[in-house]
Amino acid sequence: MKENSLWKDSFKRLAQDKTAMISLVIVIMYTLVALLSAMGLIASDWAREVGASNLPPSAEHWFGTDIFGRSVLAKVLRGTQVAMSVGVATAVISIPIGVFLGAIAGYFGGWIDDAVTWLYTTFSSIPNIMLLISITMILGKGLFAVYIALGATSWVTLSRLIRGEVMKHKEREYVQAAGAIGGGHMRKLFRHILPNVTHIVIINTSLQFQIAIKSEVILSYLGIGVQGEPSWGTMIDDAKLEISRGVWWQLAGATLAMFLIVLAFNLLGDALRDSLDPKLKGK
Amino acid sequence: MKFLNLVLAGLLVVVASCSKEKNFDERELHLMSPEKIAGFDPIQVSDRYSGHENGKVYEGLFEFHPLKRPYELIPNLADGMPTVSADGLTYTFKIKQGVLFHESPAFKGPRELKSDDVFYTLRRLADPKLSAKGWWIIDDKIAGLNEWREKNTNLPVTNYEEPIDGFKKIDDYNFSIVLKRPFPQFLYSLAMPYTFVVAKEVVDMFGKEFLNHPVGTGPFTLEKFEQSNRIVYLRNTKFRDKFYPSEGAEGDDKLGLLADAGKKLPLVDKVVVDIIPVDQTQWLNFQKGRVDLMEMKSMYERALDDGNQLHPNLKSNGIRLHIDPMLDVTFFAWNYDNPIMKNKKLRQALSLAFDRAGYNRTFYKGLASEAQSVIPPGLAGYRKEFKNPYTKYDVTLAKKLLAEAGFPGGKGLPDITVETRSDTIPRQQVEFLAKNMMEIGVKIKVGQNTWPELIKKVTTRQHQGYTMAWGADYPDAENFLGLLYCPNSSPGSNGSNYCNPDFDALFKTATQLQDSPERTSQYEKLMEMVALDTPWIFGFHRPEVYVSQAWLKNFKQMEFNHSQFQYLGVDLEVKKELSKKF
Repeated sequence: MKENSLWKDSFKRLAQDKTAMISLVIVIMYTLVALLSAMGLIASDWAREVGASNLPPSAEHWFGTDIFGRSVLAKVLRGTQVAMSVGVATAVISIPIGVFLGAIAGYFGGWIDDAVTWLYTTFSSIPNIMLLISITMILGKGLFAVYIALGATSWVTLSRLIRGEVMKHKEREYVQAAGAIGGGHMRKLFRHILPNVTHIVIINTSLQFQIAIKSEVILSYLGIGVQGEPSWGTMIDDAKLEISRGVWWQLAGATLAMFLIVLAFNLLGDALRDSLDPKLKGK
Repeated sequence: MKFLNLVLAGLLVVVASCSKEKNFDERELHLMSPEKIAGFDPIQVSDRYSGHENGKVYEGLFEFHPLKRPYELIPNLADGMPTVSADGLTYTFKIKQGVLFHESPAFKGPRELKSDDVFYTLRRLADPKLSAKGWWIIDDKIAGLNEWREKNTNLPVTNYEEPIDGFKKIDDYNFSIVLKRPFPQFLYSLAMPYTFVVAKEVVDMFGKEFLNHPVGTGPFTLEKFEQSNRIVYLRNTKFRDKFYPSEGAEGDDKLGLLADAGKKLPLVDKVVVDIIPVDQTQWLNFQKGRVDLMEMKSMYERALDDGNQLHPNLKSNGIRLHIDPMLDVTFFAWNYDNPIMKNKKLRQALSLAFDRAGYNRTFYKGLASEAQSVIPPGLAGYRKEFKNPYTKYDVTLAKKLLAEAGFPGGKGLPDITVETRSDTIPRQQVEFLAKNMMEIGVKIKVGQNTWPELIKKVTTRQHQGYTMAWGADYPDAENFLGLLYCPNSSPGSNGSNYCNPDFDALFKTATQLQDSPERTSQYEKLMEMVALDTPWIFGFHRPEVYVSQAWLKNFKQMEFNHSQFQYLGVDLEVKKELSKKF
């Protein structure tokens, strides 16, 4: 019998999980929408007036129109681009920070560990949303500030997990063996230990992605997030006043879009954990 | 916790059963305040709602006529209007004799209002130790007062005995105030809550607690003060003879506003003010008939149908609707520090591309009136028939002017960020502007700020444009024209830093004049001058919407309404009849 590699094995387990596959499809669809929108192929004319103000959903305008007669569907699609870009940018910024700090803290211990632990406990003791608000206040508002703010705050969990995992691994035989044949610290850490903890990065990113999306929505709702572009958060903010007049479609469009992607990422994250780290299954 | 809940539930039952037993023998006024009251120290009353409460207990030397429009300043504690010297500097006042302060342990027996009380009140406003919120209204106006303030800043205790050049006592009922330079708007400051007259004995006796123990000369005495819950007033039984006016504005007669003419004030025995911060709760209370009057703020659509008429089910309960323009103006201002904005054709193009009718429909249910210039209706200087040629909606002309300005199709023009507050409606308002401007190729970005951030950006000139509303401090067009007066540039009220030497020269002469036809015609000239120069995109004079119960008598909307409540009455017969319906 041919032995499968660890990764192949995991993927096989994942493929058997129906919920995970549906979630994965949803995530891929959102990514496609975001990409198409970023390339200007869809929803590029979201600011155009397509009909009267506050038209309910119909065959012509699937999600209805907003207060200025713009298509809510176009805004939802454009908002998808914003949300997905925030998720990606956050991951790109936070993963290197989290992995690097967690790895050196776990591997070297001593004062480096103390310093890193101090840094992330300090970070995590500040209420997240407060920290986000103050960072966007300093950087000025806009999408870029949201990227930086979320990137700079969401490495903490990852860093903590990596630190623990590295601590566990550094005493293992294979690492000792690597040392015995003359491997230096850097080689042991980055060539031997890290590949064995990558699954944590994947699981964590999947969960962190949806937290980033939610945070962007909250910031935009508060008026300190995305400026001058549609965001699910701004749409929900609009809806705050519309709902008493019976205009529910903007709220519905934005929350539905958000609900689906957040749910998909959550389920996918769980499934990834189960398949990549079978010991934890069902925990 | 459970016990507390039980107690609370019990209390609720008691309160509910109390309010069910309506009292139809006593003339009670039921009002509400959407905000907590800052307290009863007049010099600290900067917000409208605290002003309402202070105006029930305290009085100023002057007040605004409750019915006449445009607003007319009339004597209140003063006995007649003051005489003004030929140089416009010395104002000689006479105060009514026999005006008594409310009873208080601070006094030995009845205490009459005297000239010294007015001086004491103004000194308190200037006292550096008290950091009064209303200091600005007399700052740099009265001879010797700023010097006195300066001198006392470093003393351990403010010296109230030291004479001040500007305060000249003639006798207990006659005195003069000398100004540094002519400032005809001075009298308006004597009708604002900041200058409501207080007695020294009371302030001395209560010290820091003074704000909870008001003793004034006003129509009501404070019975109960629970800052975040309820305030109760009783009629001041020793109130002087003051009567309901027998003349008003045109049409007041037909509205029944003169039915109580000649009756002794106040018209009710008791006033109950509930502090209700939540919109929905306010509205439910009003619908239940528990309060007599409600300001609809941004909730018009709850009371209005599609034709902007009162909803039929409200009408059937006798509820009345009052819609009037406020004394205010909204605007989108540009920053003249930016050389591009000195281009007049560009400014006119931007103004022409703004769809005012659409904006009005979207944000004010079409109830606002379009501003042609800076002065709102109701003030001398406003001309009803004046139409600004640059406030119509004409995209073709706008495009043409934009090309003439050197930016055909918006080419070469950088993006302009318009700063506003980050609340939903302010953001949507700038989005609307951006949508309009996009049609002529001009890109507007929305800048969202907290209120302090916005103020900071405007006062430190860190903006390309901003939007705001300006409400009148007093009913004089000077208050509005001053928004475009060069010496008022940031950090003053001219946030756009607009400078026009012709305008400035005429503004200076006009504002030194006393109220007169001469001054009005100069104001009109100034109004037209800025209208044609289009320094801003002029916005709207916003509507103010109130609903009142059928039994509430004599309500007429007023911008400066802190002394209005003594004129309100309750028709007990109607209330009894209608209460069956609620």
